[in-house]
Amino acid sequence: MSRQKKSSLKHHQDRWGMLFVLPALLFFSLFNFYPIFNALFTSLFRKKVLSLKPPMFIGLENYTYLLTSADFWNSIRATAVFTLGTFVPLLIVSLLLAVFISQVKRGRKFLQLAYYSPAVLSSVVAAAIWLLIFDPRGLANQWVNAILMTPGVDHNWFSNSCMVQFATMLVYFWKYVGYFIIIFIAGIASIPVTLYEAARIDGSGNWQSFWKITLPLLRPTVVLVSIMSMLQCLKTFSTQYLFTQSGAPQGPINVITMNIYNTGIRDHRIGRASAMSIILFVIMLFFTWLQFKTTKSDEVTY
Amino acid sequence: MKQSIPIQRIIIWIFLLGALVFIMAPMIFMISASFMPASDIVKMPYRWIPRGIHSENFVKAVAGNDGTYIFIRNLLNSLIVASVVSFTTVLISSLTGYSLSKFSYRGRDLLFLMIMATMMIPFEAIMIPLYMVVTKLGLQNSYQGLILPFLVNAFGVFMMRQYLITFPDEFIDAARVDGMSEFAIYRSIILPNTGPAIATLAILAFRSQWDNLLWPLLVAQTEQMKTIPLYIVKFTAEMHTDEGAMMAVNLLASIPMFVLFFALSKYFVSGAAVYSSRKG
Repeated sequence: MSRQKKSSLKHHQDRWGMLFVLPALLFFSLFNFYPIFNALFTSLFRKKVLSLKPPMFIGLENYTYLLTSADFWNSIRATAVFTLGTFVPLLIVSLLLAVFISQVKRGRKFLQLAYYSPAVLSSVVAAAIWLLIFDPRGLANQWVNAILMTPGVDHNWFSNSCMVQFATMLVYFWKYVGYFIIIFIAGIASIPVTLYEAARIDGSGNWQSFWKITLPLLRPTVVLVSIMSMLQCLKTFSTQYLFTQSGAPQGPINVITMNIYNTGIRDHRIGRASAMSIILFVIMLFFTWLQFKTTKSDEVTY
Repeated sequence: MKQSIPIQRIIIWIFLLGALVFIMAPMIFMISASFMPASDIVKMPYRWIPRGIHSENFVKAVAGNDGTYIFIRNLLNSLIVASVVSFTTVLISSLTGYSLSKFSYRGRDLLFLMIMATMMIPFEAIMIPLYMVVTKLGLQNSYQGLILPFLVNAFGVFMMRQYLITFPDEFIDAARVDGMSEFAIYRSIILPNTGPAIATLAILAFRSQWDNLLWPLLVAQTEQMKTIPLYIVKFTAEMHTDEGAMMAVNLLASIPMFVLFFALSKYFVSGAAVYSSRKG
């Protein structure tokens, strides 16, 4: 329609439109496109940030080094364990709580805001609070001992490599569960009430309605939330960094981002850190692609 | 309306209240511990209500372990960075979103696609080259260095475009007939009519900078240029025997976000919910 008459006025307007997009284009080129190509390029060199020697082209050597390095595989393992151990409980618990909240009439607003409140804290603050809770004399031991009826036992939240991994997951879970509850509540709210009323007339209970109506119609949100939380977990840094800075062992929780930071900034190995960044990028790209693919085929019709 | 079975209600409420305790307890712990002397915090069992108010925790938190009061400067840095970033994000995202939704120049859709593609580039994957860009420009240890990589984000552009697509063209055309310039249309018609989207975006941008640890860790080398997350990390690592002061720092650092949260909780919630209605 707009193509048939290209008056000079229209031309004039469109030139303004192009002008409006210019700042963003410049920004994205300099701070997104250039760095990613630069990372790709740098990953093929042996480059140290403070060294006066010119960077040496070494092809894929950084990648072959990483893929045979026990330290890098440990980071992959740490990241994978953290991601799986965090996003699965996050998904299930937030979905469950969102369904429960949607069922109650009184106090719904209050519960939503209360659940959401940890998400308002910065990740460093969240990690610092839990650092004290995991103290040998702290609340975590008191609670666990009260529940398991094992008075006086220290559960070694930081000295045991399994426990320290679990501790990071718990911090993340605590901080983000309310956030995902809100997303699910919005998803549930978009399901027409008439469907539930029809189901009730047909004699199905709440439990059946959940499996037959809520869950199938919520599938796009479930997929979206699971991939979103996965992508977020893959990027985790603050909790692990604060914990290790305050004395937790680094090995079990040396996630990829922390490894990139330490390799690039502390050890000045820019080439190797770039190769690691590219690997992280490819992993996340895969999940993003998965998200687009699954949400596209998941259009729901009521 | 049929009343559902009471047993079911009770089970639901047990779950909801259990979750409430789990989520709120650490928050309340932070608040109450920040008023206690260290010896009370690690006492078993924990007393949730502090005996009197130990304000010296806050004095220590602000003064720092060396009495330099660098906390105030760091807090100011965080406020500056977060405010500037949320301002420019709103400005540039809305301008770009307007351009991508209401004009029809050649290559528009390709541009949109390109900007969307940057959403797939995680910051963590480009921080090393970004750091080199900023170093080359000589911007380490400066506000420009802290701010530049976050001036605008692709999600903001996307959100603004989606919001403006439904905005009626008639208003814009009418303004053109009245002889308004294109920029004046943006300023006095587009901006005032995108309030909810702007508020949501401003909050998202502000919060992401308030939370940002990784980038300031690379760029801010002197104490003067550090931001609040860096201050907390340093304070925690050095003062972990003084639990009360540690929690006081955390409480102080959270106050700006909580004020924002209670004032604008509507937008906070819709900012999160934006994701569940992202299609279309």
